[in-house]
Amino acid sequence: VAQTLRDTSVAEIERRLDELRAQEDDSLQRTSVLTHMAWVPSEWSSAAERVMEGLGERVPSRTLILWPDPDAKEDGLDAEIAQERFGGGTRDVCAEIVHIRLRGEAARAPASVVVPLQLTDLPVFLRWRGRPPFGKPELDELVDAADRLIVDSTEWPRLAGSTAGLVALFDRIAVSDLAWSRTLRFRAGLADLWPGIKKARTLRVVGPRAEALLLQGWLRSRLRRTLRLGHETSRTLKRVEVDGERVATPPLLTVSASDLLSEQLEIYGRDPVYEAAVRAV
Amino acid sequence: VTPANPLREGLRLPRVPEPCALVIFGASGDLTQRKLFPAIYSLAYRNLLPERFAIIGVARSPETDTEFRNRMKEAVREFGRDPLQEKVWRRLAAGMHYVATDFADAGSEDRLVELMDKVDRERGTAGNRVLYLAVPPSAISVLVDRLGHRRERWDGWTRLIVEKPFGFDRASARSLNEELNQFFIEREIFRIDHYLGKETVQNMLALRFSNGIFEPIWSRQFIDHVEITVAESIGIEGRAGFYEEAGAVRDVFQNHLLQLVALTAMEPPADFTAESVRNEKVKVLRSMRAPGRRDVVRGQYGPGHIEGKKVPGYRQEPGVAKGSTTETFVAAKLQVDNWRWAGTPFYVRTGKRLAKRESTIAIEFQRAPHPPFARDIAEDLRPNVLTIHVQPNEGVSLAIGAKVPGQGMLIRTVYMDFLYGGAFRVELPEAYERLILDCLLGDATLFTRADEVDEQWAIVDEIVAGWKRERPDFPNHAAGTWGPAAADELIRRDGRAWRRR
Repeated sequence: VAQTLRDTSVAEIERRLDELRAQEDDSLQRTSVLTHMAWVPSEWSSAAERVMEGLGERVPSRTLILWPDPDAKEDGLDAEIAQERFGGGTRDVCAEIVHIRLRGEAARAPASVVVPLQLTDLPVFLRWRGRPPFGKPELDELVDAADRLIVDSTEWPRLAGSTAGLVALFDRIAVSDLAWSRTLRFRAGLADLWPGIKKARTLRVVGPRAEALLLQGWLRSRLRRTLRLGHETSRTLKRVEVDGERVATPPLLTVSASDLLSEQLEIYGRDPVYEAAVRAV
Repeated sequence: VTPANPLREGLRLPRVPEPCALVIFGASGDLTQRKLFPAIYSLAYRNLLPERFAIIGVARSPETDTEFRNRMKEAVREFGRDPLQEKVWRRLAAGMHYVATDFADAGSEDRLVELMDKVDRERGTAGNRVLYLAVPPSAISVLVDRLGHRRERWDGWTRLIVEKPFGFDRASARSLNEELNQFFIEREIFRIDHYLGKETVQNMLALRFSNGIFEPIWSRQFIDHVEITVAESIGIEGRAGFYEEAGAVRDVFQNHLLQLVALTAMEPPADFTAESVRNEKVKVLRSMRAPGRRDVVRGQYGPGHIEGKKVPGYRQEPGVAKGSTTETFVAAKLQVDNWRWAGTPFYVRTGKRLAKRESTIAIEFQRAPHPPFARDIAEDLRPNVLTIHVQPNEGVSLAIGAKVPGQGMLIRTVYMDFLYGGAFRVELPEAYERLILDCLLGDATLFTRADEVDEQWAIVDEIVAGWKRERPDFPNHAAGTWGPAAADELIRRDGRAWRRR
């Protein structure tokens, strides 16, 4: 079921959501576990759609996908509301998905739009596609309206130049970095090299630059010494070497981008090891 | 001393067991095909088995390694919950072997021991062994004796998984424990009650001990009574030989039902270690007195209807004696005589061929002391009930009174439901997956300890002793009903009724 609303209001979106819920003829019960917000600048639209696929199926939630258009000629909101059901019988999972185009001023004050639409008393996750605009009001507003910020630092032009902005957020909101999650297999492999790794001198990484820097930062923060980083760019993290020796990794279930995001939605607290790694980049 | 590895801190990795070989005795049996291998495959599918791992199937029937692998592959395809992936299967099958041997013959264990040594060398399993006894109780003693004498020469650790029923009564359970203890210490023995591996049973602990709102009211002061039902709609499914001996009291009451009572009534453990949890459970079992004659009802189903189909009575089932007095139904009123529960009855019932398949724990709270409504409304008010649905439709529901919208004050009972399938879009793991993995990891929290089994048998022995003095008038209820009228009377005379929802 999908409804398109042009030049609409938050009240109208709420009313349509209530209507959709009421239309369910066999809704004996309804469970939602979180509100998921995604901030998707236009350049990320196709990638965001892909990652959203399958998400609602795993997590019964309300998803608010925000499409900022600050340069629009007129201020206002457009919305598309959909309700998707997955499964069958008593095991249906229901997800409400609301796409909101924030035009003009609305793109600079998004909290006033999303806060009324969040599910009461449930955790709020904010997925930010691309590099967050550190210090800008739209980020600050949404950070204050969420419990956890999920980023992927491989989507940023440069991690090294962004760490100060990210570190400044740590005391305001718990942060997950999907790039950090993807290094798990290699961190486990590197941990197996203890205590010999204490004396290692070089780290060579074939993979995205951000993941290489996070691994180097992690080793620096944990071992309290620096390993010289050699890096070869690759789309995915393929290989890690310490002093020329390839690091063996444990077999872990391969996860898709959607899986990775779903995993983050089950984590609530801060990750001090990650935060220390970012500080050490 | 090597300092703790700082690189391990914060790594959210699944626990993977040490290298080991899993030796399944009874490899040609139903349990191995329907439950054990699908569970082992699911663990392999999720990379939860060690890289250096082997499985040795042991049974009397002759079979080659290849035939064993093919048979188990089919079993995974038919009964598994995960898709059969060739890559995963090949990895698992590479470490699979089969030995045909009859442990009744002297020296029969030699071939197995030789194979275990060979597997250690080839697969690097380091002499670590899990011996899974998926065999009838009568076969356990000889198996343990033959292997026990050889284990002193093994390098690594050994763990023993013993399937239920553990003994036939208290004396035989003690005798079996003594036999096991000749060669294995308590922490090497893992007695399976697969109910404890079910997610919803573990959720009882999560519900009680992670929610601040329940524990303060979890006592005689606020709870009127507890009702536990383990009902099956199926019959004995060709297991007449076993069931004629065991009956409902040994098949389900002695283990699943009493474990559910213990989990519901136990005090909060100091931590979630095996010893702490089991210490608290055993305290509950020790506090329970066996129900007197008036407080226990047994039954046996006659012909009737299940889901619209005619089904035979128990005495007409193949292999059952025409005049069998084996009970297929038990209901009892149990009392836990301790500070928390004194005076709060636990009504329990279990049976085969009942109206539907349902396992639930229902906590019925006391009524509101003084509802400020008109008398006719107040009389219709029903108490709050917290129901844990163990199976099917796993979840929790809370019955509360709510005002019907409109003029006047009309109150109706509504249900706040939490269904696992609705909140977590993941398949619930099979109980055997959890239990096999826990054993490989050496975690005995969800396995029953010798003293628990002993206390459980003490209660059952007293019940059965009472039955020996009288001849029951069986069958006393039709298949497809909720048991004999006496079971309804058992609870009705206390001014209560079994839940029907």
